[in-house]
Amino acid sequence: MSELGPSPLPPRHRSRRRRFWSPRRLPAAITAALLAVVAGLLLYDIAAVRAGRPGMAWRRSLADELATRPLDDPWILAVACVAVVLGLWLVVLAVTPGLRDVLAMRAGTAPVRAGLDRHAAELTLRDRAVEVSGVRSARVTVTRRTATVRAVVSFRETEEVRADLAAVLAEAMEQLSLARPLGLALHVRRMGEG
Amino acid sequence: MRATVNRVVLVLTGLALVLSGAVVLCSATGLLHRPYTGRDDVLLSEGDRTRYEGTSWWWPVVIGVLALIVLCALWWLLAQVRDRRLRRLAVDADDDGMALLRGRALEEIIAADAEQLHGVDHATTALMGTPTAPRARLQLALSPNAVPGDVLAELDSAVLDRARVSAGLPLLPAEARLRAVSHRAARVS
Repeated sequence: MSELGPSPLPPRHRSRRRRFWSPRRLPAAITAALLAVVAGLLLYDIAAVRAGRPGMAWRRSLADELATRPLDDPWILAVACVAVVLGLWLVVLAVTPGLRDVLAMRAGTAPVRAGLDRHAAELTLRDRAVEVSGVRSARVTVTRRTATVRAVVSFRETEEVRADLAAVLAEAMEQLSLARPLGLALHVRRMGEG
Repeated sequence: MRATVNRVVLVLTGLALVLSGAVVLCSATGLLHRPYTGRDDVLLSEGDRTRYEGTSWWWPVVIGVLALIVLCALWWLLAQVRDRRLRRLAVDADDDGMALLRGRALEEIIAADAEQLHGVDHATTALMGTPTAPRARLQLALSPNAVPGDVLAELDSAVLDRARVSAGLPLLPAEARLRAVSHRAARVS
């Protein structure tokens, strides 16, 4: 099995295209729903008590727990830990772009912002790779920086196939027209080996 | 706009959670001596909870704040599910008049045009923005052997340009997401 590390990126194609940012609808919807339910329940119960009706049992027991359990009570500590972790997670969601599956594409002349799904990039590269003669099968994984191509060769010299593959894949990656071109990690092995 | 609001509220909620959790944890381990006195202190004592109950403003304020939170949360929740597509857009007619074009009509035209492109299997379009400054959002499903760069170039030069001309828009900023239709490798041997 011979290997080739990620090749250096051609600098001329780097363009300042911003990443796609997720609108974060689902976390927002869940947070909003929880807020509405909790505040709504509390509001309902407080209003009911103000109107002279008996309050709900959970509010009385919650008030009792808050007033009796010391700070180093396991329950209080557990809830505090959960709050810290959940809070950190929300902050991370809020400040990270998300949409890691979308690779920004190079801009043309007009105001079109385009993104290519990682899976689409994988399929395109795979289709091109299996067209190289001698390649029996190919598996492609695309991360945000690198396309890893694992090809199995059934006939022809491995090194020849590798050279052909490298050329074909370089052209295919150019045709993906990504704002930040992927590096290529090419692994070629002969059928039945490794 | 909505994305900004989402992220700002999420970061505020997250910070509030982290802060309250951290205060409790630090107080319980003795790192912090305010507002709690030590690990034997309680979160909310009977006295703290009922401190303001005798005043005339306490309950109206509590109820008002809670009502405000409920209303804002419901509005925020609705904003996540609302369809924000453009219903109509203003088209500059020749004789100083303005015509209204149904958003759906232009969406369908753009999608149908995009599906004609080589390498596009299926397309959906949504128009957003305002009637005078619409924005297009496209989802393109690529067919096997599509060349993403070419699809994008043609989308810009043929499809969007035609939409701009036919709707008389000086600009039609667009955002396109290119996905793939999963398929098996067609191997040549």
